[in-house]
Amino acid sequence: MSQAETFLGYERADGRVGIRNWVAVVSVMENCNSITRAVVRSVLNTVPVATAYVRGQIGQDLEITMSVLAGLATNPNIGGVVIVGLEPVTSEDLARRIRPSGLPVAIVNIQETGGTLEATMLASRQAARMVRAASAMRRKPFPVSHLTVGVECGGSDTTSGLASNPAIGVAADRIVSLGGQVVISETSEFLGAEHVFADRAATPAVRDRFLAEVHGHERRIMDQGVDLRGSNPTRDNIRGGLTTIEEKSLGAMAKAGTTPLVGIVGYGERPSSPGLHFMATPAPAVESLTGLAAGGCQINLFSTGVGNPIGSVISTTIKVTGNRNTAQNFSDNIDCDVSGILEAGERVAAAGARVFDYMLSVASGELTSAEILDARETSISRFGLSM
Amino acid sequence: MPRAIVLDARDNVATLIDPAAAGDIAALTGEAQGEITLREAVPYGHKCATRAIAPGDDILKYGQVVGRAMATIAAGQHVHVHNVESLRARGDLESGRSS
Repeated sequence: MSQAETFLGYERADGRVGIRNWVAVVSVMENCNSITRAVVRSVLNTVPVATAYVRGQIGQDLEITMSVLAGLATNPNIGGVVIVGLEPVTSEDLARRIRPSGLPVAIVNIQETGGTLEATMLASRQAARMVRAASAMRRKPFPVSHLTVGVECGGSDTTSGLASNPAIGVAADRIVSLGGQVVISETSEFLGAEHVFADRAATPAVRDRFLAEVHGHERRIMDQGVDLRGSNPTRDNIRGGLTTIEEKSLGAMAKAGTTPLVGIVGYGERPSSPGLHFMATPAPAVESLTGLAAGGCQINLFSTGVGNPIGSVISTTIKVTGNRNTAQNFSDNIDCDVSGILEAGERVAAAGARVFDYMLSVASGELTSAEILDARETSISRFGLSM
Repeated sequence: MPRAIVLDARDNVATLIDPAAAGDIAALTGEAQGEITLREAVPYGHKCATRAIAPGDDILKYGQVVGRAMATIAAGQHVHVHNVESLRARGDLESGRSS
């Protein structure tokens, strides 16, 4: 194991390895978010896990939201969890899903504590104690096989498919070759490329499930009576030269490199084997990043063309662009400039190696633009109706 | 001279990686060589036809079908949402799957 192929991370009780060491303050439902945010403002090294719903959700939709909340709280980047709930039953349901990770878990319920001010004070004190304990941990070297990396794109244009996505694909191949996991997502952004990607499936079962996800998604779009042409490609994609979803998809697929597709997971689920996986998620970046973070991705390699600033709260997000204009005019939000592929004849393999090396530095602690500027958001996808 | 990249020898479009004005001669790079005279302005990142395309023809990029021509497109014309349509998830086509 060469020095160049390790990173310095935090070992968790369940054997996974974090690249950050935050305490998560988790809202059990939307009516808890104001306290969650107040705690995060008060206590260093905390991150908020806010949710727009839960109260009123039913069935599978509720189950997905609760498991995604637990997945976010148990991402390896988290070293302790303060649950902010309204009432004890739902809070305990969430805590029960988090405790098997071995993380310290504290619960503060607003109805039991006497309201906003008392709950904020108690949750802040719990968070402060956890941050002090977490800060005593030290980073240690780990091989790349401990990394789960999401590959994502947002604000795409034609340079995404020509430069930034292929460069990320080179990094993805390197991660897989070293025993790590790579997860590509965004179901609708395989429309027009699924026949090419399906040929990379490791088994017929994986191929069939992948195609069923993409074609089922297309069918559900059409069953709504809508025409995807009105929304994807988006207006900024079109301004950037992307004409159809087929063109966008064929470029987006390049993020996944060239290795076999070994597994398919649902929204927010954790892949179980090394190699390249597909997660079925909606296309908007925040919903997709939230699913990837809940699935255990410590890092996301995020390609942007015309410029998209947003990152995950939980999963450290690295912005890569191949568009020379964006590299100059949007530079505050760009971490990795691969515009040399189109402008200076830089080989895609060389640019991808730069992305990989930078990613390992980030994994060892270097902060990204989305972290420094707090350009981070959480949005858990809905799959059903509220009561 | 603006550059236009061709990603697969089968393609009938090239992607401008410099902005181009009407009348500019673009240098083809990538999987094609030669030059093409642009009949109209083509913004950075947008596509031009590298040969004549008839209505209903497939638009090919990456060697794959990325849409269908809705009009006659001459070599050197801007190829985009005004003259190309997607075949996927439209609601008015039973199945646009091209493979």
